[in-house]
Amino acid sequence: MLTNNAAGRGTSRLSPILTLLLPWALVYAVFFLFPFVFSFVLAFLKYNPLNVQNTTWVGLENFARLFQDERFVRALRNTLVFVVGTVPMTTAAALGLAVLLRGRVPGKSILKAGFFLPSIISMVVISLVFKLFYSPSGGLNNALSLIGLGGHGWLTDPATALGAIMIMDVWAAVGYYAIIFDAAFAGIPREMYEAAHLEGAGFKDTLRYVTIPMLRPVIAFVLVINTIRSFQIFIEVFVMTQGGPLGATDTLVLYLYEAAFRGLDYGYASAIAYVVFILSGIFSILVVRRFRPQFGSGGVA
Amino acid sequence: MKRVLQLALLLIIFAIMAYPLVWMLTISLRTGDGLDFRYYREVWQAGPFDRYFLNSVVVVTIVLVANIIICSMAGYAFARYRIPGGRVLFFLVISMIMLPKQVILVPLYILMQKFGLIDTYAALTLPFAADPFNIFLIRQFLVSIPPDCEEAARLEGAGELTVLFRVVMPMLKPALAVVAIHTSLINWNSFLFPFILTNTTSMRTLPVGLAMLSQGAHSIDWGHLMAGAVIASLPVIVAFLVFQRQIISGLTSGMSK
Repeated sequence: MLTNNAAGRGTSRLSPILTLLLPWALVYAVFFLFPFVFSFVLAFLKYNPLNVQNTTWVGLENFARLFQDERFVRALRNTLVFVVGTVPMTTAAALGLAVLLRGRVPGKSILKAGFFLPSIISMVVISLVFKLFYSPSGGLNNALSLIGLGGHGWLTDPATALGAIMIMDVWAAVGYYAIIFDAAFAGIPREMYEAAHLEGAGFKDTLRYVTIPMLRPVIAFVLVINTIRSFQIFIEVFVMTQGGPLGATDTLVLYLYEAAFRGLDYGYASAIAYVVFILSGIFSILVVRRFRPQFGSGGVA
Repeated sequence: MKRVLQLALLLIIFAIMAYPLVWMLTISLRTGDGLDFRYYREVWQAGPFDRYFLNSVVVVTIVLVANIIICSMAGYAFARYRIPGGRVLFFLVISMIMLPKQVILVPLYILMQKFGLIDTYAALTLPFAADPFNIFLIRQFLVSIPPDCEEAARLEGAGELTVLFRVVMPMLKPALAVVAIHTSLINWNSFLFPFILTNTTSMRTLPVGLAMLSQGAHSIDWGHLMAGAVIASLPVIVAFLVFQRQIISGLTSGMSK
């Protein structure tokens, strides 16, 4: 970083720094740092908002309880299924879509706009639309009835509810990541393709030996942000199923919300929050390790 | 032949992407006697989506202005000053971007309750007044331009805040456009925090009001719900169609840095 010398040195210049950073520091300290630390402490307390006087330190009890709690285990399993299912599916579909967009395509900007649009619409809206779409008399069954199928309650059958939500999430996110990949494609030097072409590489070989390796940092970035987002799945299940049927779509953040605001068990809810935090951290590190750029060290994440 | 196949596939995917949204629109307009706006009128007045809309606009405006000022100040400081412990501080900023926000949900709720701010605009705006992503973006943008203009202004005796607001902010326009897009979108669509931090109809924002409408009724009234859904998405869709290029390059620019 090129620091300008006049402004950059000496304690006499400390006061403008304080002025400039003060508003941010206040917001950060009060609305982030304090709650973050408080949340950590809460995870070791038995804290009921209606009975704050009887708050007690319970050590690791909240965490120990988690693994004997059937509902937590179920929510954890569903969340992992959701993450492990949707993240690779979305990434692969987005890559495929970006590849399809290569070359001269008529109406490209309209197509891109259409793909991108769902990613900027509120997840509450999308969840409602798909709740209706998946309902027994909804659009999906109407379409299926044309081929003699249909009449299935996709969200009321425990066997299909989570899968239906996962497909909706892929639908909602794929365009956003496809546009990211599309932008990244534009950054690959043309000579690399020409060289591959001269070597006689076909479409598949070019994809495998040029495109994918060049995109590694972007793929890692996409996987990490999508993983972190997916661990937080809440709106979809809150709006569409309330975790049902029979807990088939119960997720960690839904349970966190209910433990805190219906069960009034703030300590336990904070323990769940930290599980979400730690799990998404671990998954992100694993992804970055796996997809670390092979040359150079300009990691994005 | 390959061309045709490529285009056909793209069109099919386009149709799949568009279908649910078009469908939302038709359900909201089909009231039994042809196409009309009855559901919109009813949900606007009785929903009360006029109030939700107002709340969303107020919240997004406040958060946006706050972010532009606060994040420009912080981004400028991180870009131009040698701050003691600056690397650690900046790392704190960046690490916040990735953090699952639910971790602070319960403590933030307790805090707002202690302050007596539940169900106020303050609760809906203060915690989001300095998005770390914006600070990161502004700092990265500033680092890429030389500080010549600022030094010239300083030589003429301008104070630091004057330099920032009169000299730096105009140069920051491209970055601030991204900040504006990012901040408006996130806060317009935000659900979990506004949901937790409010408890009366008059303070709900659009996504929260919409979700409440979908859960309140005994039997779900899809016509009104889809009208509400369109009201909640229309401003975003219109803004997208107008600023498409800026939005796409803005939202994908976070990763190219």
